[in-house]
Parts: sequence; C-alpha cells; structure tokens
Amino acid sequence: MATEKTDVVIVGVGAAGGILAAELGKAGMKVIGLERGPRLKTADFSPHDELRYFQRQELRPNPKRMPVTWRPNTSVRANPLPILNYGNQAGGGTVHYGTLSWRFHEDDFRARSQTIQRYGASAIPADSSLADWPMTYADLEPFYDRAEYELGVSGKAGNLQGRKIDGGNVFEAPRSREYPLPALLADQSGVLFEAGARKLGYHPFSSPRAILSEPYKDRSGCTYCGFCQSFGCHVGAKSSILVTKLPEADATGNFKLVTGTMCYRVNTDNSGRATGVSYFGPDGSDNTIEAEIVILTPFIYDNTRLLLLSKTEKFPNGLANSSGQVGKHLMAHIGPRVFATFDDRFVNIYMGPSAQKHSLDDFNADNFDHGGLPFIRGGQVSVSPADLEAGPIGAAMSMNPPPGTPRWGAAYRDFLAKYFTRHAAIVAQTENLPYADQTIDLDPGVRDQWGLPAPRLTYDWRRPNELARVEFLLQKLEGVGHAMGAAHVWRAPLGPGIPGAHHEGGTRMGNDPKTSVVNRYGQSWDIPNLFVIGSSTFPSMSGFNPTLTIQAVTYMSADAIVNRYKKNPGPLV
Amino acid sequence: MTKHDAARRAFLVRAAVGAGAVAGAGLVPDAHSQLEQHMQGDAPAHPQQHPSGAEHGAFFNHDDAATIAAFTERLMPGAPDKPGASDAGVLNYIDLALSGAYTDLQDFYRRGLAQLDAHCRKAYSGPFQRLSAAQQDEVIAALEEGKATGFTWPTAQEFFNTVRTHTMEGMFADPLYGGNKDFSGWRLVGFPGAQAMFTPIDLQSKQAFTRAPMVGLQAVASSSMRKG
Repeated sequence: MATEKTDVVIVGVGAAGGILAAELGKAGMKVIGLERGPRLKTADFSPHDELRYFQRQELRPNPKRMPVTWRPNTSVRANPLPILNYGNQAGGGTVHYGTLSWRFHEDDFRARSQTIQRYGASAIPADSSLADWPMTYADLEPFYDRAEYELGVSGKAGNLQGRKIDGGNVFEAPRSREYPLPALLADQSGVLFEAGARKLGYHPFSSPRAILSEPYKDRSGCTYCGFCQSFGCHVGAKSSILVTKLPEADATGNFKLVTGTMCYRVNTDNSGRATGVSYFGPDGSDNTIEAEIVILTPFIYDNTRLLLLSKTEKFPNGLANSSGQVGKHLMAHIGPRVFATFDDRFVNIYMGPSAQKHSLDDFNADNFDHGGLPFIRGGQVSVSPADLEAGPIGAAMSMNPPPGTPRWGAAYRDFLAKYFTRHAAIVAQTENLPYADQTIDLDPGVRDQWGLPAPRLTYDWRRPNELARVEFLLQKLEGVGHAMGAAHVWRAPLGPGIPGAHHEGGTRMGNDPKTSVVNRYGQSWDIPNLFVIGSSTFPSMSGFNPTLTIQAVTYMSADAIVNRYKKNPGPLV
Repeated sequence: MTKHDAARRAFLVRAAVGAGAVAGAGLVPDAHSQLEQHMQGDAPAHPQQHPSGAEHGAFFNHDDAATIAAFTERLMPGAPDKPGASDAGVLNYIDLALSGAYTDLQDFYRRGLAQLDAHCRKAYSGPFQRLSAAQQDEVIAALEEGKATGFTWPTAQEFFNTVRTHTMEGMFADPLYGGNKDFSGWRLVGFPGAQAMFTPIDLQSKQAFTRAPMVGLQAVASSSMRKG
C-alpha cells in the first residue's frame, strides 16, 4: 500500500483526461493520471490487422474481465454485453475512434426550448427528460476553436462568422475561422454520395475528422490506408490523445501517468471535501493518492459507478448525488443503415479513413421542419463501409446480404465475391432523447476482475419518438442510395434495444443543483473539489459524434480551473 | 518442413479429405483422392488416428476436424476460381484459434459438435461428414433457424453463428493466423490486404484495384527484417 500526494488526480486519461493533464501541467499543477489500460505508441500499431483490432477488439475493454451488463427494463435480469464499444488504454477511445469531429449545432444546446418554441411543449414526449444545456454554443465556440487547432482537425467551413459556404456543412453553427487543415479527400463512395445527395437537393460535404490531411505540428499526414476506425494509426496521422496531448503533458514535467490501475473509490472527509482516490495497482496492491482536486474522466459508466461506490455516511446515496440524478438519463446513438451495391463500377470503400466518410446534415437536429412528423430531433447521415471499418471480415460480419440471398453457401460466396468491392453503407446516427428511467447503476450479481460490481445499464431505445425517427431516416437513406446510382438498396435489420455507440449521461450538468449533478464546468454541486468531465455530463446528445464537444467542454473546464479555481478554490458557479 | 509441420499438414489434409469424401467429391482436390481411398479401406471407427497420436490437431481430434472441415466448406464452398473454406485453410485457422486466442471456446465447440453429431445420427442415421451435400445444407439451415433438435448449450443458433463467424475469420484474417491461405480469401473478394497507402487516383477510381503486391503481415515483417 502506497500513499502519494499531488495537486490533481485524473481518473481515466482519454479524450478529456489527456487535455486536462496537459493544461493543468502547463499551469504548474502536479498531476497524476490513473489509467486502466496500457500506454501504447505509434509503433505498436504497425502493421494492419483486421482480426486483431476490428474483430477481436484489442483496443477495447475485455468484456469478460471488465463486464458491463444490460437489460431493456427493470423486469428482467441484466446480462453482460458481448462487446464494449469504448477505449481501454491511455488516449481512451481517441486511439481507435473514427475521428469524426463535429461542433454541435446552436440548437443542440437548447433542444428543449427550441422544440417548445417551434412545435409547442406537447411535441416533447411526456416521459422524456430533455433539458437545455447550462451553456450556449457561443460560450463554447472559443474552446471548439482551440480543440480543432491544438489537436488537428481537417474539414471545410460551411458557416464562417455567419457566411454560408457551399461545400462545407451549411447547417453548422458559425465558426470564427476555417479549420486548421483542408478537408480529407473524398473516395469513390464520397464522390457517389456527393452527386446523389446534390441530385436530391441536399448539402453534402467531406466529414470533419481529427486526421491530418497534411503534415501538421511535426506529425505526418494521412496515407489513406483505410485501417482507421477500430485501429491505432500506424503513421500517427490520427489526432489521438496519444500523439497530441500526452507528449505535451510529459513535457511539462508535472505529469505522471500510472497505467494498469483500477480506481475503485473517491475518498471524502467529514467536511464534505474530496481528499483523493484509492486504486488497485497492476500487482493487485491497494494504493491511495491524496489530492487537492479529483477529476473523473473515464468512459461514462465508470463516472456513475465510482460515485456510487464511494458512498459514505455523509453521502449515503453516493458522491455528488444530493439531486438523486447520478446514473440517470443514459443516451446512446443508434445507427440505422441501408446497404447499396453497384453493378456499373467498383467503389473500393476499403480505401481512405473508414468511418462516416462523407456526410449530409439536412436531417439532423432541428435543421428540417418536424411539423406534422411524429418525432423531434434527427440524425446525421453519412456514407461508410459496412461497419465503419472496411475490411472483408467487417463486411462478412456486418453486412446482411440483400433479401433472397442467404448468409452462407455458394450464393453468399458469390455475393461477397462480387460486391465486397462494390458496396457502400449509408448510415444515420440518431439523436435519441434522454429519459430518466434509462440508467446506469451497480449490478448486484456481476463483478469485474477486481471484485467491483459491474456497471448495469437499463436502456431500450425503442420508444415511439425514436422508432418514428429511425423509420423517417431509413426512407431518406434509401433515397440517397438510389440517387447514388446503386443497383440494389436494402436495409440492415434493426438490433434489439441495446445501446449503440457514444454513450452520454449519468452525471448530467445543469444550472440547478436540485436537478443536476455538476455545473457547466463539470464541478460537483455538492463537493467543489470534485469534477466530472466528459459526455456523461451532456444533458442531451445531438446526432453528432461527441468527442470534439467533450474536448471543447474539457478546455472550458481546464480554463476555469487554471484561471479561477486555482486562485480561489470553491464553487465556480 | 519440420516433423511437426509434416504431421500437422497430414492431419489437416486427412480431416479435409475425410469430410469431402462424402460431402461432395468435386470439392476434393485430385491429389488427395488416393489418400481418401486409402483411408476408407482403413479401420472404420477412427480411420485417421495414428498410434503415436502425432497426427492430432492443435485442438480438434480427427472426427471433429472432419466435421468442421465439411461444415465450413458448406458455409463457404469452393468452386473453380472461387476459393472456399478448404482452399483457405479455415479448419487450420479454427484449430489454431481454439488452442490459442479462443481457448475459452473449447467446451463450446466440444459440446456443439457432440450435439451436432447426435442430431445428425438421429435425423439422418449418420455423422455430419458422411451426409450428402444437400443433407448437410439441410442440417445447417436447421441450425441457423434454431429448428435442429437436441441442442441445449450451445443452442443450435449459437453454434451456427459462431462457426460462421470463425469461418469468415479464417477466410479473411491475415494468413498469419493460419487461414486465408495464399490470400485465397482476399483474392475471392478483391481485397488487397494491408496496403500502407492509397493515392488520390486510387481513391476515386471506378475500376478494380489490382496493383500488386497483395500484402500480408508476414510479408511486411519479413521484408522489413530483410531491410534491417
């Protein structure tokens, strides 16, 4: 058992934790980062191996040793999820992610009031806990800008200080300046998607991604090898925390990363302050860190789990939980999709960055009139390979053949042989509403390799509002597929109610301590030296991938900690 | 070739031949037919078993290997210019995986194969590898649809899905893992392997990508070692 003292302890060194390590270290604070997985390096990711990284999920948590359970509702027992869709190493999900780097729309930050204003309060499902954010897009814009420039994001502006620019996303919120790097090149699927979408009057564009389209900050540009989503980048062109913020944190001399560790408790004293954390080392040892500030930045399950595991007599319902909101409002993206195959050309979709290559934003957020439609909010639409990853194992596992073709045998072999190089998936990523009864709590029956109760998800996205949105989007996707000139267009089956990718919620932020867990800076209302930062604080989720918004929010929090909290510790709001 | 390699190759060839013997003669490479005849004349119970035990797979015994060889070949059948599971060495892939990365699935396969065997003997009065190709397809369809009788754990559908998954892995994973022999799976679908880069012209081409060479991990490793 070891005890260490430091200024700041960060639990989970991923998209948010890596930025905090660099920013707080640069401000002269001593920082210790606890990370469950290893710290890998670019050389570890060469060469390419679809079995290892896509199929066997090497960069994700092992679901047997680190189980997470799921049940659609409280009347059935939860079972361990077979695949865990998040990162398990220093850099977290930014190591394997598809790098989509969006700024949320202005109305994503006020989805509730936008809906009431435009369609009336009755448009919001009665059981939804949809809430506005305690910040506006304008508040966050400088931090989006900073994240894009510090990390390296490639894209084309569609709204520069209010001026709409064709070729970029004309639905995006106004940005103060262009992206730091030009948009990534479109591949054949992007060319087809671009033409098809324009034919339908939509506004397609090359998706903004945290991949270098050109050399930037001493890093080399993308080689378009295609081994992207699910893989670590073999040339370091993916702007993961591994190659951006961790070297910066190291250079401050104030940061220590401890890998192979499992934090199991945030310690508090009788005055209601956090005093630090306890964790198991890689050797099974039980260790303590005493810190002035505790920041939780693991994947969202572990924010809720840690707060609940850390309950004391003073905090009998878990830490930061006087509102009773910890663990509630779990959200996740669902990816309805259609497949399109072409008889007149090859598509070779395995080339180039694989995830959500080319997009249209016409059916996202409140970018279209929902009047008369049985749902609110929308989804981002893009062209991708079968499972955002483009190898043949991915296609064989994730692309159901068209109706009438079996999943095996000579006909299936011939389908793959002809269409693996001639397919594209057109995918929607839906903004599902928050509901208070979609929750994370502690599983009473399943424990992880450290003996801790597994996080248990109670969640089913198949609600009337969400099902109607999916059906609406599937029809749009089919339309795009046909407009692209596909010979065959068919739907992928919808899965069970299981959460998809990009989880949000569990430690909701807000303006009111009675209805939220943390304030806009991720600071606990109950324990001012305890911060929770990441998508777990999002009050609503947007149809966009969350990472850039996680990172912008993190820069905002880091700025508040360095420039305000450090001088005058206490509530920031 | 080491003695071990030779024994392993013999095991795999015999398992595949044993499977193909009844499953569909057209699928059996000509070079193997003599072996097949030889074995059919041997002791009927365990025709492939060598007294020394040296010709055992890394995981499968000979009967189970023959069943998996036949089963996976029906899932991805070979044809002229269309490599199938046998051509790709899917049996070899699964055999190695079950003794390595998938050791936790050994019981799943043992019980799944035993249940499959019992089902086939009851419904068709013979083991899977002795059924006609049409009968084998009926059995597989019954597994896929969950209609095959006698399955508890794994269920028929679980067993089908897992064998299908592993067949696809053996077809398309890098040859490093023991399947996708001579890039046969990648050649089937036109995937060029672990290419380090594509050019802007490649990206927007409407044509098949044919630029040689197809790249596997061991080629990458051995060429970089040669350079070193």
